[in-house]
Amino acid sequence: MNMVNVLNKAPRPIDDVWIPSSCSLCYGTCSILAHRVDGVVVKIEGNPESAVGKGRLCGKGVSGIMTHYDPNRLTRPLRRTNPKKGLSEDPRWKEISWDEALDEISAVLRKVRAEDPRKLVVQRTTTVTASRVPFQTFAAAFGTPNFSVSGGGQHCGNGAHLISGMMHASWSIVPDFEYCNYAIYFGASKGHSAGHASCSNMGKAADARARGMKMVVVDPICNFAAAKATEWVPLRVGTDAALALAMCNVMVNELGIYDGPYLQAKTNAPYLIGPDKLYVRHPESKQPLVWDTRSNTARPYTEVAAADMALEGEFTVDGTRCRPSFHCLRDHLCKFTPEWAEEISTIGAATIRRLAKEFGTEARVGSTIVVEGVTLPYRPVAAIAFRGSQGHMNSVYNFYAVDLLNHLVGAADVVGSCLGFNPTCHGHPDTGKLRYIPSAGPDGLMVTGMWMGYHYPYPPSEPRLPTNLGLQDLFVLGMTSPFLDSTDREEMWERFDLPYRPEVMVNFGANLVMSIANKEAVAASLAKYKFMVSFDLFLTETSNFADIVLPDCGYLQSLDSRSNFPFIFSLPAGMGEWCWPIRQPVLPPDGEQRHCADVLLEIADRVGFRADLNAAYNASLNIQAPHRLEGETRYSYAQICDAELKNNFGIERGLDWFKEQGVIKWKKKPEEVYWRPFVDVRVPIYWEFMLPIGAKIAAIAEPRGLKIPMEYYEPLPDFLPCTSHCCQKQDFDFYAFYYRDIVHTNSFTMENPWLDEAARLDPFSYTIAINATEARKKALHDGQLVWVENEVGHKVKGRLKLTEAIHPEGIGIAAMCGHWSDGMPIAKGKGVFFNELLELDWAHVSPVNNNLDLCAKVRVVPVEAVP
Amino acid sequence: MRWGMVIDLKRCIGCYGCQLACKAEHGTPPGVYYARVLKDEQGQYPTVSNISLPVLCNHCEDAPCIEACPTGASFKWEDDGIVDIDHDLCVGCRSCMMACPYTNRYFNDQPAHYHQQGATPYEAARTAHHQSNVVMKCNFCRDRVRSGKPPACVANCPTVARIFGDLDDPTSEVSRLIKERGGFTLHPELGTGPSVYYLPA
Repeated sequence: MNMVNVLNKAPRPIDDVWIPSSCSLCYGTCSILAHRVDGVVVKIEGNPESAVGKGRLCGKGVSGIMTHYDPNRLTRPLRRTNPKKGLSEDPRWKEISWDEALDEISAVLRKVRAEDPRKLVVQRTTTVTASRVPFQTFAAAFGTPNFSVSGGGQHCGNGAHLISGMMHASWSIVPDFEYCNYAIYFGASKGHSAGHASCSNMGKAADARARGMKMVVVDPICNFAAAKATEWVPLRVGTDAALALAMCNVMVNELGIYDGPYLQAKTNAPYLIGPDKLYVRHPESKQPLVWDTRSNTARPYTEVAAADMALEGEFTVDGTRCRPSFHCLRDHLCKFTPEWAEEISTIGAATIRRLAKEFGTEARVGSTIVVEGVTLPYRPVAAIAFRGSQGHMNSVYNFYAVDLLNHLVGAADVVGSCLGFNPTCHGHPDTGKLRYIPSAGPDGLMVTGMWMGYHYPYPPSEPRLPTNLGLQDLFVLGMTSPFLDSTDREEMWERFDLPYRPEVMVNFGANLVMSIANKEAVAASLAKYKFMVSFDLFLTETSNFADIVLPDCGYLQSLDSRSNFPFIFSLPAGMGEWCWPIRQPVLPPDGEQRHCADVLLEIADRVGFRADLNAAYNASLNIQAPHRLEGETRYSYAQICDAELKNNFGIERGLDWFKEQGVIKWKKKPEEVYWRPFVDVRVPIYWEFMLPIGAKIAAIAEPRGLKIPMEYYEPLPDFLPCTSHCCQKQDFDFYAFYYRDIVHTNSFTMENPWLDEAARLDPFSYTIAINATEARKKALHDGQLVWVENEVGHKVKGRLKLTEAIHPEGIGIAAMCGHWSDGMPIAKGKGVFFNELLELDWAHVSPVNNNLDLCAKVRVVPVEAVP
Repeated sequence: MRWGMVIDLKRCIGCYGCQLACKAEHGTPPGVYYARVLKDEQGQYPTVSNISLPVLCNHCEDAPCIEACPTGASFKWEDDGIVDIDHDLCVGCRSCMMACPYTNRYFNDQPAHYHQQGATPYEAARTAHHQSNVVMKCNFCRDRVRSGKPPACVANCPTVARIFGDLDDPTSEVSRLIKERGGFTLHPELGTGPSVYYLPA
């Protein structure tokens, strides 16, 4: 025994390394350092070298070890032997070899691809951001447009991401925490809980709080963000648009606060609108006209100095009466009085007036500030919305109305304002790659420079008779669609003479039986598939519908050249650094686990579409010569990652360099972060394009018996009620809604025993929050076991938590708990499965962006009262 | 010197990051939390405040647990004021748990794991030095601190709500924050002299 060992009492470890990689417990994908000692990961910490997380992790991130080492992880491919599929059917799994599994999968896919590749649905969970490229390229190369992210989108993003993209050229919006003085949140928790750039934003929001930023949180429940707010403003579930529109009205019509020069130069506010609610266009160039106050004539917007464009006034152009769109907006807002909004939202009119005044005053319209030597507009206010406010029938108008607050005072992507996540990047300084800047599209309106969804938010494509299962080619402002699984999907497909039906699903990790709506609806759609293969870590409620389940590698065993998406997704907004981290294996696969990306490559080889897949990768990753993937060459996923990295960062910075360094970073410039004054684009405060889209959709749908409610396709936002707001059933007194818990991601983390333990200690994670006074009125008590039942009889059981911190009409439940799969024994039976209360059909979907209506009118009945 | 911690309740959002970073650092068994987060609410709708209070061993100057320990297992490091437990001396009588007014001590009655299948490789590696039939608690990550790193909960806190430093040094950040922001301890009336201070929300 040598001296060192004697002193340390234990043998010196042979293997003792900290490996830079990326978390994957949520889509925030923070950068991590994994400490491996003698082949065992003994600690995960944040990587201080990275701007993504800034060296700190949330509770989920530090707990990833327990997900990785979960003995319930799958280690062998499985095949079902029970052909019957259903919620109560045991698949009767048998272990098979990879060869058997891939033989069968390839045979099925080869046949489907020859018949009609659109019969394949490719689906992935949003939890693993890096899964986007391998699965989307696979779908594209295979030839199917039917790509889904399960409950993602329908729950969070069809409104939030669409409108953040249209108005801010980014996936989401957040206050400029460094400079913002007054933020108002509508059903959002940015910086206080889960989400994009969640860890970085927690630090930034705390800095802002310490600096004295006021924060008003509009939410039916006072939890994460509201708990830290200067003021909590409780409202009736789903009525955010009423408040936002009344605030807009007070600002513009009662206080006269708006940013004229911003509206003139950066929006379509000066565009002239005719009596048909459409732009008045130049007869030849078809460009929208504005009124030039200098020449007192109508001229194309491109030919008039912004300062000379009229924002108000009645004009006549070639005999047509018209007004600038701002004038239309201003008149339209008049009907949204605070008194009207009080009726709808329950927020007092005086409070609404005060909030509008505070927001308008704090905006400091007209002011500038110097940041790093650059003089920039300074608007230190931000109106932020996310899941809570946009997850309704009125999804589009809710988000649109909230964001109008920003645009009315010019608080959009300038210092202190509402920021998109990094909409403009001038590229890596050495290579110039990754450069993207928003540009002016049709009618001068902004087209985002970087996007990751189905289609760009603007310009919308032409509605057409749908050939996609999700009908996104008809509902062109939708992203993820409910019609893959809805109870009326077959009716929809028949209505539109869809020439094929889904037969095969390739699923990555999505647990859609839990993540979309009531389980019976989704289960019925899944059971219809002739063949389903699912890449999973565990046997979930959804993998029980698969024919073959493949054991995936976890994030500590995986390689990804882009663990994050550049840079509109999970890199924090505001000044700081550009940062590109990778994910790399810290541990080998266990048993026969294989990384999904490599498996997809092998399937493509077996089916015979490698050349198409290489081309799809080139397109998706924008790989240029000399790094382009060529012909049918059978690259490994590692080689593709290497090509992407060298393409972006130079020949010397390939995978080996990144494995060593973990991240590459460079400094952001003020002209990138606060790009709005430097980029000549406009955003629509008047959505003129809605009318023709609505008319075209109606022209296709209505002859086929689907009535399109045109009030959703007006160019200016309104408050339109949810199904829940119209419920008149006796005893259905509460609006049930869900929120995203701080220790859980989607339905996935409930299986992590540390997170489960934290959730069990939390008073709310696994209970049903109800206003204490209202509960007592109904003789309900804390801890009581109750049924929460919706109008059509779908119901969930759980224990009440009486609280003062919820609106009297609200029932608040943390999302996607209540697992029942034996494959996730830690998660099984914990918490309340909220989504059971959601109906999945046309009547519960936004007729514009296909967002699901995520609230339900319910009654609460003690379990003992029900025989 | 005397190590102490300041927890800024204005910055804290109750995310459980401290509780779980601590668990990851020490591999504490189910039900044992050297750091945890208490949640409560005050007031009546709609004037209600939600409170998240992260708690851990207070490393009291006049620690009742040391007083109560019959074997000398609970002790204070003279050089840094950290209250610690020598598990070789602990007989598991739990007198210290009765004595601690903050209930930040835990009894580890038997080897326990999070999965019924037994210890994960992580747990096997991290918990090899754990003893059963002993009382366990926070020791301000003394091993980390001696190697120049802050305690795990401090290093990880996403909101940078936890500051660690020398309470005996009037120029340290912890001393400055306590003075400037009106730092307070829990149950000062007990006279235990906690080394964990809180800054008002």
